[in-house]
Amino acid sequence: MHGVALTAAGAVWRRQYLVWRKLIWSSLATNVCNPLLFLFAFAFGLGAVMAEQEGIAYLAFVVPGMMAYTSMFVASFETTVSAFARYSLQRTWDATLATSVTLEELLLGEALWAASKAMLSALCVLLVGGLWGGIPSWAGAVAALPILFGAALGFAAQGLLCTAFARGFDNFSYFFTFWTTPMFVFSGVFFSLDRFPESLAAAAWLLPMPHLLALVRPLTTGAGLEPLAAAGHGLVLLLYFVIPFAAATARIRRRMFD
Amino acid sequence: MAAPVILARALEKRFGEVRAVAGLDLTVPAGICLGLLGPNGAGKTTTLRMIMGLTLPSGGRLEVLGRPPTALSRTERRRIGLVPQDSNLDPDLSVVQNLLVYGGYFGLPAAALRRRVPELLAFMQLTEKAGARVSQLSGGMKRRLVIARALIAEPELVILDEPTTGLDPQARLLIWRQLLQLRAQGKTLLLTTHYMDEAQRLCDRIVLIDGGRILAQGSPAELIARHVHGHVVEVTKPVPPALTGNGLAHEDVGDAMLFYVAAPGAVIDRLPPEAVYLHRPANLEDVFLRLTGRKLREG
Ligand SMILES: Nc1ncnc2c1ncn2[C@@H]1O[C@H](COP(=O)(O)OP(=O)(O)OP(=O)(O)O)[C@@H](O)[C@H]1O
Ligand SMILES: [Mg+2]
Repeated sequence: MHGVALTAAGAVWRRQYLVWRKLIWSSLATNVCNPLLFLFAFAFGLGAVMAEQEGIAYLAFVVPGMMAYTSMFVASFETTVSAFARYSLQRTWDATLATSVTLEELLLGEALWAASKAMLSALCVLLVGGLWGGIPSWAGAVAALPILFGAALGFAAQGLLCTAFARGFDNFSYFFTFWTTPMFVFSGVFFSLDRFPESLAAAAWLLPMPHLLALVRPLTTGAGLEPLAAAGHGLVLLLYFVIPFAAATARIRRRMFD
Repeated sequence: MAAPVILARALEKRFGEVRAVAGLDLTVPAGICLGLLGPNGAGKTTTLRMIMGLTLPSGGRLEVLGRPPTALSRTERRRIGLVPQDSNLDPDLSVVQNLLVYGGYFGLPAAALRRRVPELLAFMQLTEKAGARVSQLSGGMKRRLVIARALIAEPELVILDEPTTGLDPQARLLIWRQLLQLRAQGKTLLLTTHYMDEAQRLCDRIVLIDGGRILAQGSPAELIARHVHGHVVEVTKPVPPALTGNGLAHEDVGDAMLFYVAAPGAVIDRLPPEAVYLHRPANLEDVFLRLTGRKLREG
């Protein structure tokens, strides 16, 4: 075929952006207020009883956690519920594929858009959490942003894979119950993994979220990264993008074109 | 002769057990308007989707602009525009934004779009609605916008799947006029429709399909002459047995009998004075009904 053109994926991104701009208030309400509500709840509520995690002040622990959580939630919501609506209800994908845009470009555009929205939410958490005093290293936080973006591409791809198999909107409840929720509650977002029995903690490392936190948290706290371990976590996150993206593309191709 | 714009040989599409297209041979030369007609479920949309590369054939050969549709390059895809059966516009975006976004999908530069969009709005009489949201448009306006959208990259082949279904006579008339203008500009049109008057008026050639196969093809006039002989005489029963026994083409439609004849006298002159009958020139609808039967297609 003809390779993947970023300009074509960019045209898909732009379409999402224009729609988003029309519906900006409801988008902002969910994607900005939602993570901030969680942040306040954890920081005030849990912060009072959980003084330190892994030797880090609780606020400095939970702010990067919420940045990672919101990246995951926003990106995967966008490529599940929202993308499925575009695919099956609005038939936007059909319309797009009747042009010069290929399926890979369409799905890449979807993932890039989902990751962009995720970044917006993560930035809001960073800003509010940082002003509150939860970001000891601003330089580290800036360095963490591209990592969050890359991980969000992965979360988007995982959502696309679910969409590729979904028959209806209720199917996504499995995805949120058995994929995103464990990454919220069992992956070190708002308390440390070492509170779990060893086997559960080990199982959590099969998910992408602990790897993302292992990169982001040392950066925002200023502890710094150990290169070899960081490369390992980065590789896991990369595979969590490449594999689901390829699988989703193959499955959607069969579903739409056969 | 120049290479055909679309060439299909023994084209086939199966959906599980269903053979939606069952060995179709189709040649669409450049510059004509070809009408693909057939009852519900005949395989029209499936054929058009295969031509667009939106559905992969299960068998046979298909070439569009000289290549299999999936092998067309990014720029070659600009030469084909599609008006799908279901208008899949972006409901949240405005009329202009729909066109801009679509132009972006074809990789058209912003300067070209700035020139092209107002032209298209004028062509489809949507200029006043430029800023309106698509969800606020009437059905006819949406349809016109889908046609404008298909034309954004100035394609030489325009594929229209039931472009006027559900529209009022004024809207259909406007669309017909603009489609004829496109044909006059030398574009190739491939369209499906359930309106036989539309097919008769717009199409140089008709391909009538059913069950995924071709039943008949030719110009509207040829089809009428060949299959319904030019005139229809509808005789209310009882019909004199002499008429049905003498080899005239006829069809029993319940309480009447239809005779297809080259000269109406062949029937009328043989009717008793008290007979009730109706005579009219035959049209494409007669061909359609005669060849595809009068039974309703179940979905
Ligand atoms: N995606 C699909 N999966 C399964 N069967 C399909 C699919 N698309 C079409 N079919 C079947 O293929 C046959 C042809 O359908 P198609 O949509 O091509 O008909 P059509 O001629 O366009 O009909 P209409 O005039 O109603 O639009 C039908 O029996 C239809 O049920
Ligand atoms: Mg159809």
